Amino acid sequence: MSTVRLVGITKHYGATVAVQDFNLQVADGELVTLLGPSGCGKTTTLRTVAGLVEPSAGRIWFDDQDVTDLPPRKRNIGFVFQTPALFPHLSVANNIAFGLSVKGAKKDAIGARVDEMLTMVGLAGYGSRLPAQLSGGQQQRVSLARVLATDPRVLLFDEPLSALDRNLRDTLKYSILDLQRRTRKTAIYVTHDQSEAFAISDRIVVMNAGRAEQIGTQTDIYLHPQTPFVAEFIGANNGLTGTVTGTDGAGDEARMVVAADGLTLRARPRPDVRAGDQVLVYLRPENLVVLPDGDGAEYDNVVDGTIDRVIFEGPTAQLRVDVAGRELRADISGSQRLTLIQRQGKVRLGFNDLTMIPAGAALTSAGSESASAAIANAAPGGTEP
Amino acid sequence: MTAMTLHRPRLKARRLTDVLSHGYIWFCLVLFVLPFVALLTQSLGERGGTSGIDNYADVFGSFGDNLLWSFKISGLALLVDLAVCLPAAYALVRYPVPGKRVIFSLLQLPLYVPGAVIGLSLLMTYTFVYPIEFMWGLVLAMSVGSFPLMLTPIVVALKDLPLVFEEAAECLGATKWQAYRKIVFPLIGPGVSAGLLLCFIIVFNEYLVTLFVHPPEVTTAPLRIFNLVRTAGLLPTTAALAVTMQLISFAAVLLFFRVFGTRYLKGTYLI
Ligand SMILES: Nc1ncnc2c1ncn2[C@@H]1O[C@H](COP(=O)(O)OP(=O)(O)OP(=O)(O)O)[C@@H](O)[C@H]1O
Ligand SMILES: [Mg+2]
Repeated sequence: MSTVRLVGITKHYGATVAVQDFNLQVADGELVTLLGPSGCGKTTTLRTVAGLVEPSAGRIWFDDQDVTDLPPRKRNIGFVFQTPALFPHLSVANNIAFGLSVKGAKKDAIGARVDEMLTMVGLAGYGSRLPAQLSGGQQQRVSLARVLATDPRVLLFDEPLSALDRNLRDTLKYSILDLQRRTRKTAIYVTHDQSEAFAISDRIVVMNAGRAEQIGTQTDIYLHPQTPFVAEFIGANNGLTGTVTGTDGAGDEARMVVAADGLTLRARPRPDVRAGDQVLVYLRPENLVVLPDGDGAEYDNVVDGTIDRVIFEGPTAQLRVDVAGRELRADISGSQRLTLIQRQGKVRLGFNDLTMIPAGAALTSAGSESASAAIANAAPGGTEP
Repeated sequence: MTAMTLHRPRLKARRLTDVLSHGYIWFCLVLFVLPFVALLTQSLGERGGTSGIDNYADVFGSFGDNLLWSFKISGLALLVDLAVCLPAAYALVRYPVPGKRVIFSLLQLPLYVPGAVIGLSLLMTYTFVYPIEFMWGLVLAMSVGSFPLMLTPIVVALKDLPLVFEEAAECLGATKWQAYRKIVFPLIGPGVSAGLLLCFIIVFNEYLVTLFVHPPEVTTAPLRIFNLVRTAGLLPTTAALAVTMQLISFAAVLLFFRVFGTRYLKGTYLI
């Protein structure tokens, strides 16, 4: 067990900047995911922690040890790759034993540990098989057992489930979470799958073009995106541009009034936004509620529109509503969705939680600001907003 | 009914191509096997009151020494080849060596240069520049002539081997050397053994370069055959030695396919 600290990590490949000034502190026993689109530098960042990639600048610390110049074998890490990467010529048991045997452990100690690990990942009795005789999911579990056998300080995962089919992914991600919790290992987990990140993380780092755009808990990231990129990358969002025209109400009830694309919206005030500022406003489709006619006093925002389309998706019904010449998407769940299937014509929508971001929110300042904030109060389980 | 009548001519056409292709295969087989059969017949020929089998007694009698030299030279040359090619292939594939392609092409040179030219240049090198006594000159000559055949399959096998196995091994605590010995080497086994087979066949049967650089006390079996045929024509005993050489090469190939064609490849990522 160990804390992990990345300080100013930068990696260039020739003219390509794969990672740019990346800062992160992972607390002891915490599971942090790196989430971002393809090519944003997740794998490169993770590999610098493993020692498989040498950073162009920056330092990496495990507890109070600077490991930046150590080769992978001296860092005592467990790296789970995208493919199981089991040694094809060794039996399952010998694969799991590999880490212990190269470190010169005693034969019977190794045997006991291998059995313990096989039981832990639910594959007791599979020790004598060759990797090719296992399914993809079983192979990935063996690779998990293989890294856990050496009792590493830090677990690193590079999209370990992306090669598996959907059902297997769902069960295996909870197995990984469960193992990480039981062994209390500090872990960094790379994925481009949002639901995976939301399901297992203590904290999420959203990456874009080699930088950390925002670091925070699931609710931070989901409800309070700090940059346009995060707001647009996470989930499906209705984005509008507008100008702050003034304020309204006082104390807890204070709201900023935004004129956006012909609508007048009210959002919670932000210290960095003043009247006259250009802002981006985001409304999450799942936060929109269909209101009975003439109702809606309890909502900050009420808009009237015309239903363009209703798409019934089973658990939710997707509503496309034309509001002042602009299409908004509303995802309606629960029993209300059933009454909407046949609905046409006018509809009234209400919603409270608007995300308002200054139009100039540069990704550098927002990224490093939230990064340092996150480093300041990093703790297992993360911090609530 | 119409379907039947439509099918018939097609069936006939297929039968004809079947016959033709089988005929072609047999023609090729006969063409390739014929020289061996001719040699075998010659080797069993009578020779002043002795039976054909007696010719083979000579192979292990007066020719025994030559066969032994052939095995010795081949074995040592293979070891030298391995010692040079395993690290060379690893460096060429895994490290950013500048001018990789050019180096690799240059290393293939011995394959394109006629044996007599290699023999001459080696003779000059060993005699005037770097005199090597006894059989080591011959061993080195054989290695120089054959190592591209070892290098190429190993390079191909390494290129095919994903880097992730070595990375996994290193993350688990293995040193570079442990990763190489326990993971890389077994996994490029098929490439290494293909190289061994090719080099063995070439070195074991080589006589032209040997003619140039062999020391007087070393006469390999192919060289002996060459000398005998040149001075006395094709005697049945010489033919018997030649047949034995062919059988040994054939056995090496069979062994390769038996060992590496089935058991080894199963369960690895190759099959
Ligand atoms: N060895 C390398 N040589 C040159 N460029 C590289 C190398 N490795 C990565 N890059 C570049 O660095 C950037 C980040 O790559 P990286 O693999 O970290 O992305 P990623 O976020 O893991 O993407 P994905 O989700 O597709 O795996 C990419 O633009 C990539 O082309
Ligand atoms: Mg990646």
